Amino acid sequence: MSAGIGVDLDSIWIRFGEFVAVRDANVEIKGGEFFSFLGPSGCGKTTILRAVSGFLEPSEGQVRIGGKDMRGIGPNLRPTALIFQNLALFPLMKVWENISFSLEVKGASTAERRKRADELLEMIALNGQGEKLVHELSGGQRQRVAIARALCANPDVLLLDEPLSALDLKLRQHLRTELRAIQQQVGITFIYITHDQGEALTMSDHVAVMRAGVIDQIADGKTIYDDPSTAFVASFVGENNMIRGKVKSVNNGDVVVDTNRLGTLAGRLSPGAKEGLQAGDDAMMFIRPEAMHEAVDDRLAQNRIRATVIHEEFEGQAYNVFMEGDEGKEIKISLVNKGQARFFPKGETISLEYDPAQAVVLPAGEIASE
Amino acid sequence: MLGSYLIVAVGFWVLILIVLPQLSMFDYSFRYNLPPAEIGTEKDVYTTSNYGHFFQGNEGNPDRLSVFGMETDIPFNQIGMSVFFKTIVAAVFVTLFDLLLCYPLAYYLGQSKGGGFVRSLVLLLIIPYWVNEILRAFAFRIIFGATGVINTSLVGLGILDAPFDFVREDIALYAGLGYAYILLMIFPIYNAIESLDHNQVEAARDLGSPWWRIHWRVVIPFAKPGIVSGCTMVFMLSAGALAAPQILGGPSSLWFTQIIYQWFNTGGNWPRGAAYAVVLLITCIIFVLAMMRIFKVKMGEIGK
Amino acid sequence: MRSGAAIKFFLGLYMLIFFGYLLGPLIIMSITAFNSPAFPKAAPWECLTFEWFGVLAQDERILNGIKNSFIIGAGTVTLSVLLGLAGALVLTQVWPKLRATYYTVVIAPILIPGVVLGISTLVFWDRVNTMLGFSDESLFHNGLFLTMLGQATFISSYCMLVFVARLQRFDYAQTEAALDLGATHAQAFRKVMLPFLRPAIGSAAVLAFLASFENYNTTTFTFGKFPTLTIELAQKVRYGINPSISSLAVIIVVLTILGALAYEVWKRRQKLAIANGAPIAAVSGGFRLPKFLAGNPAAIVLTVLVISGLGTVLFAQNYSPHTCKIEVKEEKQRQIQLRIQKLQEERKAEELQEKLKGPDIFTKEQRKGDKNPGKGSFGDVFKPGNLGTEKEDKEKAKQKNPGKGTFGDVFNPGNLNDKKNKDEKKE
Repeated sequence: MSAGIGVDLDSIWIRFGEFVAVRDANVEIKGGEFFSFLGPSGCGKTTILRAVSGFLEPSEGQVRIGGKDMRGIGPNLRPTALIFQNLALFPLMKVWENISFSLEVKGASTAERRKRADELLEMIALNGQGEKLVHELSGGQRQRVAIARALCANPDVLLLDEPLSALDLKLRQHLRTELRAIQQQVGITFIYITHDQGEALTMSDHVAVMRAGVIDQIADGKTIYDDPSTAFVASFVGENNMIRGKVKSVNNGDVVVDTNRLGTLAGRLSPGAKEGLQAGDDAMMFIRPEAMHEAVDDRLAQNRIRATVIHEEFEGQAYNVFMEGDEGKEIKISLVNKGQARFFPKGETISLEYDPAQAVVLPAGEIASE
Repeated sequence: MLGSYLIVAVGFWVLILIVLPQLSMFDYSFRYNLPPAEIGTEKDVYTTSNYGHFFQGNEGNPDRLSVFGMETDIPFNQIGMSVFFKTIVAAVFVTLFDLLLCYPLAYYLGQSKGGGFVRSLVLLLIIPYWVNEILRAFAFRIIFGATGVINTSLVGLGILDAPFDFVREDIALYAGLGYAYILLMIFPIYNAIESLDHNQVEAARDLGSPWWRIHWRVVIPFAKPGIVSGCTMVFMLSAGALAAPQILGGPSSLWFTQIIYQWFNTGGNWPRGAAYAVVLLITCIIFVLAMMRIFKVKMGEIGK
Repeated sequence: MRSGAAIKFFLGLYMLIFFGYLLGPLIIMSITAFNSPAFPKAAPWECLTFEWFGVLAQDERILNGIKNSFIIGAGTVTLSVLLGLAGALVLTQVWPKLRATYYTVVIAPILIPGVVLGISTLVFWDRVNTMLGFSDESLFHNGLFLTMLGQATFISSYCMLVFVARLQRFDYAQTEAALDLGATHAQAFRKVMLPFLRPAIGSAAVLAFLASFENYNTTTFTFGKFPTLTIELAQKVRYGINPSISSLAVIIVVLTILGALAYEVWKRRQKLAIANGAPIAAVSGGFRLPKFLAGNPAAIVLTVLVISGLGTVLFAQNYSPHTCKIEVKEEKQRQIQLRIQKLQEERKAEELQEKLKGPDIFTKEQRKGDKNPGKGSFGDVFKPGNLGTEKEDKEKAKQKNPGKGTFGDVFNPGNLNDKKNKDEKKE
């Protein structure tokens, strides 16, 4: 990664009256990286973005860009550019005028502006569309214009506020790749916020998972997925089966849990867990659907679960089988479609096996709502 | 730069155009009518004599206040006060007339689906209003005059033997006033009704409600802000009307505003005129507040 | 519940009455502009004439009034738009707690009676004038100055409402985007918000101008030495009516209609041009877009009107009502003559009756009597003894043409008796 400008959030608190929107956020974003804030609506990620871009001053703490304290510096003077959720393109200006707006306010000549606009149009693969008006473009094209407009301002940090949320699936997937490519091409720091964990995981170097104003975990995608540090992260990122129980024993990271309905199961304490576990604590065990498979026999063991099939579905790349789990919740297992002929009839009780290393145990806590 | 423009402009508007002149007028009304040379001298003191005049008339006024038919000893400005009350009552009458006249059309326009017919109706409504109010009053004068269309046709048809003096009977004036403010009554009600979901009316009808009840229970409560807004505007404009009474008023009808006008012109007594103007203003304020209180409507509904 | 048909009928009747009330006076007034009598009348219709327009064009006071109206209009518009815009912007920025009070204050001028606004303006600046010790001829007594301020007080409120409505549809993210891209607040306003507000500025300006032009209640106290058209009109209407006022009304009505139609045409074109995802999000209830310009009814009507208007003007140049007037005059004379004649004849008839002594000729008894043998429908006239000069002439004529006189065969002596016999037979 090229050396870009980093962003530091140092003990940031943001309050609106009585309401705490962001609670003690500490984040170090390296220059040139693609960093995402991931979380459900209302968790405070947009608020953080606005604090970085300058539309909001934190109640406490410091925002540093490139090491410099940004307090008191307005959005027009910060080396950031923000891409709004609804894009906020200027409807009465042509595409090229939109793109070169940041030059216009600096007083650049029309020739200069046109030239730069043309360069950027080429970069976003919209050559020759400069004379159009915004409403004549499609959703994906408008996205790209918004990006070009922001890049024209030569920001050190590009901030993106859920830019893909309004687009359809195929477009979203396509633009994900494009955005990542642009970022690597231009080499500046991208701060991206989203509620879609697929985006966050595929595009980012690091992800910060947020919940109700609190950052639960900051790590790269794999760590977040495999070693979540809170029950919320475990349940929010990807699909996960959650089994409740009480800790029976803890030994060097190996945990045995007396589950409420599925017997005694072995798992592993998440290395990233914020708190430790002791015998007797309420705990949640998380096993990914793809981490379980059908056992060869019916023998009971600490890494086996017996459950009754509720229904199954064929999703193309996988079979999903749903079984009765905890208190009315379902256990889902995902079997990669290798052409197997086996199907799971409703009502049949089967044995599932998993690798204890893949069963993450965490202190019981808030999980992501459906 | 932008900020200073905003502050200066709004400050100028609010302070120098709105607030201070009213205060100044208020202050003026409490002073004697002095020739310019004497202003600022010892004679320039505060007095309530102008208001006294409003209630009690000139010195040596023979009229006395009658309470329940019994004459008291309190001097009473019979003529002035009766004009005042007559103006108010007439304004109320005109308001009601306009309300009844305009409500059906406003309802029809508000509930219809838009389209060319409705828009041309709206256009037809608006066009008379771009014509000067003086000319509109004038048109009524022609029509209601002794040789006007109404009289000639009534006589021609044999309904009347001789031209009827509409002007003297104030009918011309009321018709003219009612006419003048139709637009201001229709549009608020129309706007309010337009946002009413027509399905509510349909539902009510479905449930067997007669048409008058539908209006009473469904439409009118919803359109209340519009109705109040319209009535308030019409009342204030009627009470404060000057052109129509001047042009269409017969000898027996004198409008309160005409009295004010006289004090400023032929009467040459500005402070007294100011006092009367303050009375008018206060009456209007009371009316607005009363309407707002009675019908529980807030200020934020005067939209054109 | 009434049947649908009855409702429709009453609705139609109501509409008829309503629009009759609304438009009737205007139509009648327009007619009087073309009618020749010196006092505006629609009936009886005498001669089509355009002379009143000529009178209008030469009326000094009216022309002066028009000039003042435009000057004041220009000033008021500028002031009101600036103030109204500022007012609207401040409304969006001000503290929510303060907002209601602020709104009430700036809306108040609409509710304050116009006369009160005029008076307060007059009084206030007079006061200022005195305090500063200026003379009588100073700016603060100047009619133009006072009228502009007095009108601007409430017209700014109208403008503000227009701007507030427009701002509600504004996406503030755009100004944020502008700021984010490096613009100062002023630049963001100028480059992003102002273009968005441009249509509103147009509407507000037009609204302000119209309101200023036709204002009477406030202007009537502040105009000083600069009467506006409206003031002059009011004077004329009260003291000296002639159809030139009607002709002014016609001009205004026609201009208004043209203006309204032009506006409609322009609006239709706008809607057609932004058929998909408009930049100026024109949200209107249920209009169908695919109408070609050629099918734009407003445009058609407008063109027709303009052409016929031009045609009328040309016609008016060449048309002279002179002959018509003479005719009318003559007709009037003739009518008068006829009436005089009739009166004279009636009077003579009465005189003759008076001269004939005797009982009333129209009672039954007389017919029976011998005394008056010559009685018939014509009464005593033909009694031989009653023959006066006229009748002598007639007799002579009768002799020339026996049996034929003005009254035909009746004087044939033979007929007389026959008649009498007939009468007797009847009885």
